[in-house]
Amino acid sequence: MKLRVWFVLAVSCGTALASGCGSLGVKPWQRDLLSRQDMQLSGNSVDDAIDDHLYFSKEASSGGRSFGGGGCGCN
Amino acid sequence: MQLKPETGTVRRRLIAASCTLLTASSARAQEIAKLLADIEKTDWHLDSALAYYHEDGRIMAVEPVVNLSRDYGDGGRIGLNFTFDALSGSSPNGALPSRAPQTFASPSAKSLSTARHTYTTGPGQLPVDPNYSDARVAVGGEWQLPLTRLTRTSVGGKFSYEDDFLSASVDASIEHDFNQKNTTVSVGVSDENDQLHPIGGTPVPGSDYLLFEKTGHKSKNGVGTLLGVTQVMNRHWLAELNLSADRFTGYLNDPYKIISVLDGSGGMTGYLYENRPDARTRRSVYLDNRVGWNRASAALSLRYMTDDWGVRSKTAQLRVRLWLDGKNQYVEPTLRWYRQTAADFYTPWISSLAGQGPAYASSDSRLGAFRALTYGVKYGMKLDERTGRTGSEFSIRAEYYRQTVENAVAAPGALQGLDLYPGLQAFLIQVGFSY
Repeated sequence: MKLRVWFVLAVSCGTALASGCGSLGVKPWQRDLLSRQDMQLSGNSVDDAIDDHLYFSKEASSGGRSFGGGGCGCN
Repeated sequence: MQLKPETGTVRRRLIAASCTLLTASSARAQEIAKLLADIEKTDWHLDSALAYYHEDGRIMAVEPVVNLSRDYGDGGRIGLNFTFDALSGSSPNGALPSRAPQTFASPSAKSLSTARHTYTTGPGQLPVDPNYSDARVAVGGEWQLPLTRLTRTSVGGKFSYEDDFLSASVDASIEHDFNQKNTTVSVGVSDENDQLHPIGGTPVPGSDYLLFEKTGHKSKNGVGTLLGVTQVMNRHWLAELNLSADRFTGYLNDPYKIISVLDGSGGMTGYLYENRPDARTRRSVYLDNRVGWNRASAALSLRYMTDDWGVRSKTAQLRVRLWLDGKNQYVEPTLRWYRQTAADFYTPWISSLAGQGPAYASSDSRLGAFRALTYGVKYGMKLDERTGRTGSEFSIRAEYYRQTVENAVAAPGALQGLDLYPGLQAFLIQVGFSY
């Protein structure tokens, strides 16, 4: 039930993002900050990979950011 | 969403543009611009790191990671990664501490009496296999291909090998840009197959540890899907929302984990191998944000995950990067908070008074209720001017991780006063180099 609420919230947010995109966003010449390496969603790929493997082996949850796979037998 | 990183491309194009303005020969300037663009397009970028991980009184690991990527500039991209893990130390076997010494056999044994290697845990100590060691080699690749000016597809694969475990997975996704590339929607699917070859054979789930009932290799399979929306909110803020679900079926036990069986007074009467359900479905909502200013940026991610084993978890992570020395150096503190509930079948021990044991049971602390905190800091130094390549960097990172057990069940009789739930403390040191 709780998950359903989360999903409804998330889908609502996604829909709001998609439908409200007209008022969101920037012009191409306004991407100076967004183009910086530290503003990339995958800008810390090595750190993220090491962290994901650590948490995958120590916690019951993993993933969310992208697909997992190639993991270890450590459950 | 692929936003171009701040590379030397802009600088080189400005130089080329300057040449165009400053030289009488525009043809010559165009040649220079084309040459610089070709160099940029054929460059491979290297991201590498060496991590040292150490748990207090348990295992340690050394993990080198190498990522290679090549950006073709038109939305096309190839990424390759290589990881090696070497682990050694002591790993908890799932049994509880006891007032009396406890003796266990190494996983390869056929019986306790004929075992070539045994280990004995002293009174009050957490049973750990002190001879744990493992090595893992993992390779992966990803190829992103532009289909149109606004649509890209990517395919990827990962392969991981250990002495007792082999994993292969493939994934494919497609993404499309809308709204002047301010909005990107992506959808992807993945498929994973794992083969388990536990040392000494695969224990029969729920069987008596002392009977050493073992079978051949086992497997598990997983399929997953991910739907993502990336949105440029404004000049300072980029957000991503992912919904994902996956389902694994097959042998989902940890073949080396056992559970203590206690009598009514807390006396140890034996051990059973753990027995988990043979299917697990997980769903998650993940929100990631990047917020940037001139001399700082922040990354805030939130995740809610749940599964049909009864585990629900919440994760929040914040990284703040502070630029120093004219953006040639940075300091990046990190804080991560995590909390999970226990799986429905998690139990620290099984009571011998219950007669037939529970259908499913595991004492693996990773399936118990706990919260965890990670504190860390990273220091980075740009090396662009020294190497002559944009994106060159040296970095060092240190993190401290601590797990604290929640909702612990009170110890029965004889075990009262013993530390049955020691939690976990670990630290990570990582040195990185990008070129």
